[in-house]
Amino acid sequence: MKKYFLIPIIVTLLFTVSCDDQLERFPVDTLVEETAFQQVSDLENGLRGAINSINRVSLLGFNSIFADNCKVGADNGGQQIALINQVLNSQGGDQGTWTDRYNAINNFNRLLAAASTITPEADEQDAYDNVLAQSYAFRAYLHFDLLTYYAEDLSNSSSLGVYYQNVVATSGFPARNTVGEVLTEIENDLTLASTLMPSSSTDVNYASQNFITFLRARIALYTGDYTTAISNANTIISSYTLANQAQYASMFAGDGDTTEVIFKFDNVLGNNASIAGNWIFTGTGGNFMEMSNELFAQFEAADVRRTVNVDPSSDPGATPPSLGIGKYPPNADTNYINDYKAMRLSEMYLIRAEAHARKASPDFAAAAADIAAIRTARFGSAQTVPTYTSLNEAITNIKAERRIELCFEGFRYLDIKRFRNILNVGIERISIDCETVPCSLPVSSEKFTFPIPQAEINANPNMVQNPGY
Amino acid sequence: MRTKFSGILTLFLALFVQILFAQQQTVSGTVTDDTGMPLPGATVLIKGTTTGKTTDFDGNYSIKANNGQTLVFSYVGYANQEVKVSSTTINVQLKQGEALEAVTVVAYGGAVNSAKVASAIATVDGSTIEQVPINSLDQVLQGAAAGVNVNTGSGQPGQSATIIIRGRGSLQGDIEPLFVIDGVPVDQDNFRSLNQNDIESLSVLKDAAATAIYGNRGAGGVVIVTTKKGKKGSGINIQYRTLYGVAVKPKTRFEVMNATQFLTYQRDLLPGTQFGDGLSDTQIAAIAGQTNTNWSDVFFQQGTTLSHELSISTGNENTSSYTSAQYYKQEGITLGSDLKRFSFRNNFNGSSESKKFNYGTTLTLNYSVSNFIVDAARGGNTGGQLDNPFLVPYIGLPYLNRFNPDGSLNTFGTIRSGAIDANGNQVNANGFLNTPFLAINTARFNTDQETEFKAVGSISADYNFAKNLTAGGSVGIDYTNIEFLQITTPGSIRGLITPNQGSEIKGSQGESFLRDANFIMNAFLRYQNDITDKLSLSASIYGEYNYSNTQSAGFTAFGLNPALPGSSAGFTAGNTQEGDDTNGDGILDADTELALNYVPGVFSSETELALASLFATLDLDYDGKYGFSGTIRRDKTSRFPKNSTGTFWSVAGRWNIDNEDFMNDVDFISTLKLRASYGVVGNQGVGSRYQGLQTVASDPTSYQLGTGYGLNGLVDEDIKWETTNQLNVGLSFGLWNNRLSGEFDYYNNLTEELFSTNAPLSVAQTGYNTVITNIGSMRNSGVDLQIAYDVLRKSQSNPWSITVRANGNYNKNRVEELPVGFTGNTLRTTEGRQALTWHDVRWAGVDPSNGQPLYYDVNGNITNEYDPNNAVYLDKNFDPTYTGGFGADISYKGFTLNTLFSFAADRWRRNSSLAIIEDASLAGFANQSVSVLNAWTTPGQITDIPRLNFQGRAEIGDRYIEDASFLRLRNVTLSYTVDSKILEKTNIFSGMRVYVQGTNVFTWTKWRGFDPEGNDAGGFFDYPVPRTFSLGFDLNF
Repeated sequence: MKKYFLIPIIVTLLFTVSCDDQLERFPVDTLVEETAFQQVSDLENGLRGAINSINRVSLLGFNSIFADNCKVGADNGGQQIALINQVLNSQGGDQGTWTDRYNAINNFNRLLAAASTITPEADEQDAYDNVLAQSYAFRAYLHFDLLTYYAEDLSNSSSLGVYYQNVVATSGFPARNTVGEVLTEIENDLTLASTLMPSSSTDVNYASQNFITFLRARIALYTGDYTTAISNANTIISSYTLANQAQYASMFAGDGDTTEVIFKFDNVLGNNASIAGNWIFTGTGGNFMEMSNELFAQFEAADVRRTVNVDPSSDPGATPPSLGIGKYPPNADTNYINDYKAMRLSEMYLIRAEAHARKASPDFAAAAADIAAIRTARFGSAQTVPTYTSLNEAITNIKAERRIELCFEGFRYLDIKRFRNILNVGIERISIDCETVPCSLPVSSEKFTFPIPQAEINANPNMVQNPGY
Repeated sequence: MRTKFSGILTLFLALFVQILFAQQQTVSGTVTDDTGMPLPGATVLIKGTTTGKTTDFDGNYSIKANNGQTLVFSYVGYANQEVKVSSTTINVQLKQGEALEAVTVVAYGGAVNSAKVASAIATVDGSTIEQVPINSLDQVLQGAAAGVNVNTGSGQPGQSATIIIRGRGSLQGDIEPLFVIDGVPVDQDNFRSLNQNDIESLSVLKDAAATAIYGNRGAGGVVIVTTKKGKKGSGINIQYRTLYGVAVKPKTRFEVMNATQFLTYQRDLLPGTQFGDGLSDTQIAAIAGQTNTNWSDVFFQQGTTLSHELSISTGNENTSSYTSAQYYKQEGITLGSDLKRFSFRNNFNGSSESKKFNYGTTLTLNYSVSNFIVDAARGGNTGGQLDNPFLVPYIGLPYLNRFNPDGSLNTFGTIRSGAIDANGNQVNANGFLNTPFLAINTARFNTDQETEFKAVGSISADYNFAKNLTAGGSVGIDYTNIEFLQITTPGSIRGLITPNQGSEIKGSQGESFLRDANFIMNAFLRYQNDITDKLSLSASIYGEYNYSNTQSAGFTAFGLNPALPGSSAGFTAGNTQEGDDTNGDGILDADTELALNYVPGVFSSETELALASLFATLDLDYDGKYGFSGTIRRDKTSRFPKNSTGTFWSVAGRWNIDNEDFMNDVDFISTLKLRASYGVVGNQGVGSRYQGLQTVASDPTSYQLGTGYGLNGLVDEDIKWETTNQLNVGLSFGLWNNRLSGEFDYYNNLTEELFSTNAPLSVAQTGYNTVITNIGSMRNSGVDLQIAYDVLRKSQSNPWSITVRANGNYNKNRVEELPVGFTGNTLRTTEGRQALTWHDVRWAGVDPSNGQPLYYDVNGNITNEYDPNNAVYLDKNFDPTYTGGFGADISYKGFTLNTLFSFAADRWRRNSSLAIIEDASLAGFANQSVSVLNAWTTPGQITDIPRLNFQGRAEIGDRYIEDASFLRLRNVTLSYTVDSKILEKTNIFSGMRVYVQGTNVFTWTKWRGFDPEGNDAGGFFDYPVPRTFSLGFDLNF
């Protein structure tokens, strides 16, 4: 009997010596990178993952709160307080944009690397090409985002831009490329994307040929290439019509209309990227950030944008006025899930107007006509065409129109930055909006360019910080 | 073997002597104790023979012995004495001493003679933690052993503590020791279901010599828990024990405003417009007269503890068993926090007639139900949840009435608290103002429950199958199944926003399980031989396989029918759509995105971990004077596929100086042992179970709710375990017949290849700010001191026994190498400093001229500009430099008083709770500390509270980094054991003990909150550990 007792002991000993296969354990919850991408449908999963990795919330908050479109809300318990105090330091002041954009770019790079190992079947060619085209288009889009926030002067092609990441690497210390180099790389990617983009790729929730054209127009405007801006804007404007009042309202209420949307990030319930969370306790209700009184005063009663932007629960007559931000409403699901309409037709009009006003031989009448076109659509009746007699006048008017048309869509800070040297105006808040927060940010402030995050500076000896940080 | 050999030798010698001299004579005398009182029933034995006699009532004996033979005199509780026969009268005075040879439980070896241990091991006797109403065996170790730092994060009954042995050994990996119960490695963070009265002893293995045998799991130390066994030949013993206790709130070390103070403060001092503004003194007096709620009184309750336990131990010649069953119920100090459990244990041991074959089983089956509050230490909570009950004593507004007009408790809120409007409709019940009612509401109506079944069992056997050779093996399992139940009832305040504000049907119910099974299979072969009379050797080789499997799955359903609580019949179908119906035709408008509010959440997961190991030990002893031990272990783990194999080892030596001949004349030294050890131990508890694989997450709710793939963070696939090189030098001593005894140890541990989840990368280049890899090294060095002194020993003439004991640890942690620069923000880890050192801008008080806060810049100059670049290292660390405990055991006749104090010193935490109630910008909806009444108002005023329009906790610097050192009267017990002579007459009872006990009775600290403990560096409305007073009795039949 006792001899048999030895058997399990010997078995255990043998087992431990020779049980290598017992030690090969693989996760059931996750994939292992080496084997994750096997076919085109895996690449499509990768594409969704990469797009989803783009933060499509925080810059919308930043532009409105850091600049002059917000005031401290009634229910504020410290939320976004640093931002409205215009604290912008290298420790997180950039809202994580640097990390987020480079991470997303990396995801597209990894996707391209994975795609290079897969040969599609004939009937998968379009799907395969689409993945590549999307990857190049978003890579360009994201790098341009970086450029707009981290480069001091987009119109100076030899000034410091950002590093253009188009390889998959796990180590290295890259230096910053110049603005010109980045723009060249962006255009290369856009060209590749345009070539590869299948004709079937027209989904408004993804990159498309129009996405590419739109982006080219925006880049051209920001970098001072007004002719290119106008020609690309013309292309887009000729293929879309501005939303009427009902369509406009519907566009921002439950994402019901896409008449003038060229590209949007499709935020859906269950995925829960909530833009409104920048200003509102979306779970429990209550505004920790509200619309500034100054912005509220810009909306005329007949303007559909007043209805869209001012939350119906607001009480402008109260002391202090209660002004909820209504552009991203709770909707039927009450979860405040709204698409981020990143490219809208009205911006094209505004870009064309600005380009006309700023080009070498300004065409103020064309500029004014574009502004009037937007206002007519928004008021639902023909509006007076403004007359501009100087660049300053034109830009002042375009800036004001951009403010009410594009508020809470991630433009205000960039607009003030772009116009500040023309108008010599920094961020100016009216006194009722700045009782406890700074009232102005001077034109010369370094804060019109984001600091490179300290983590990057610490980890990368070749990274040069922006001046003033 | 050894005994047999020496037995034969002695017999032979005895014969030899007898033949040669044959001078047998009758020796007689008296045996007395050290006070001269006769000892009746003492044993007198001729050494090396079985011939013996016992003394009579007067302590007299007589025995026939030869000249030159040695008589051994022994008596229970007294040290043996040997006298060579040289005359016919030998009177002996026995000295009190250790009745039993002291033993130490070591890894894989069971109990060994303490004198032969060369490693650093602290033993905690199970009796010191029995019936202490702190229900997690890791928590009760606080103050019990040198070098063991125990921190509890919450007062939730059964809450596991964070244990750090000899300093933080890892920055981001596991820092806690491996727990082994009866040979089975168990979950180190879950002891709530186990009955700690079953514990015989705990051995804390502290140095490499003790832990290297656990290979890549031993670096954080090992706690070996041995449970009670029956004693062979002891007959049947039955014991019933019961305990009743009351837990009460700890002392409050801050003061918030009452209604009058707060409303006056809002009106007169606070900028902006709040409730108090515009109220006249009369109005304030009216409100305060009606309502002045001290929310502390509302949220703290007296929690009762109740325990019944029956244990039976049996023992005959070849088998013994220990069986216990316990019912235990403990309530926390706030509503909705409790633990109920039933524990069962059976340990059985047996051996063959020849004693060559031994076997044993241990089994404990436990069932427990825990209810939780919204505890800062639970799940993803931060403490700032508005339904956290421990938030309310700080910020609950005093002018809110806790009662409804009809006198019943208000569980929803009032108009003043923003919950309802004048018509009684719900407005903002989830808002800040409504915090007190929200917390009451959640505690009363919502459920957060865990039901646990835990079994730990093992079977083991060994067989001395050939001369000097023993083979053995064991199989064990630690099995835990936890069922989670979380219900947000439709009628509760949280239910109003669950699944979301707009959903028509409210509430959610989540159920899930977590099943964790850890298996161990072990076999060994041992060779033991006394090579010569003086040299003995023991060598073993082991094979072991550990396998862990964890599975979990669950669901959360939304939209509950209140009439069918707890059943899926009451769940709303997941495909139910909601949306606007503007024309009222019953068909939802198609142009808006319709809401799917009730889609249930589901999940399922499984992870595995396997470890196969071979290891060997060698022990040599020469004449009880010199010893050498060595261990080596080769571990192969599934965790790091590219670096799976590691080898860990240790060597140790000892010198039992007291056994040297030259010590024979040194009477006052009874024990003196020098120990030294060095070894290399690992820590594979880093990251996930698949840490060595670059994984890609598949997210089913990615863009457009499609499946999305994305990297799960960047991993260095060459990652491996952390390695600690441990040096230990120690001295064990016992003076004056071990009246004063103790152990002193110096250690120096260097951890290399530190696991890091955030080794920095250029995100511009790699897309990731950090990579998971091994970097840097860190050293812990320090001393452990453990000492006990018997001031008085009980004897025939002295009814008093007094022992005082103390233990302490000094630990110096230093990060030797960290290429990262630093990690952390204000609590930093950087090269050349202690891990987790505070780094912040120094607060310099308040400028008397204008009330602005003042700071020191990096050069120590005062400035009123807050600049994060002025942050400096503060030489204040989170981990304590000194920890330990001390106490006394005093007994007089049947009375015994046991005390244990525990302390931790030089530890610093950020008191973020206090920062909230001293932040005037929150005073619109949160009560404030009375200290704020001293805020600066007039030029020239000297105060430490800045003017009230100074906003922002963002600019407080180190103002709330507080000394969280503490000294605590951890446990005090006064017991009375009824005289057995009285009990004999009852013919039922053989023993009876009654006691009263206080736990955490007093705490001395500078920390301005409820509880200085807490395992988080920032205190934020933590659940404090309670003070408990209990009464109990033990009955033996």
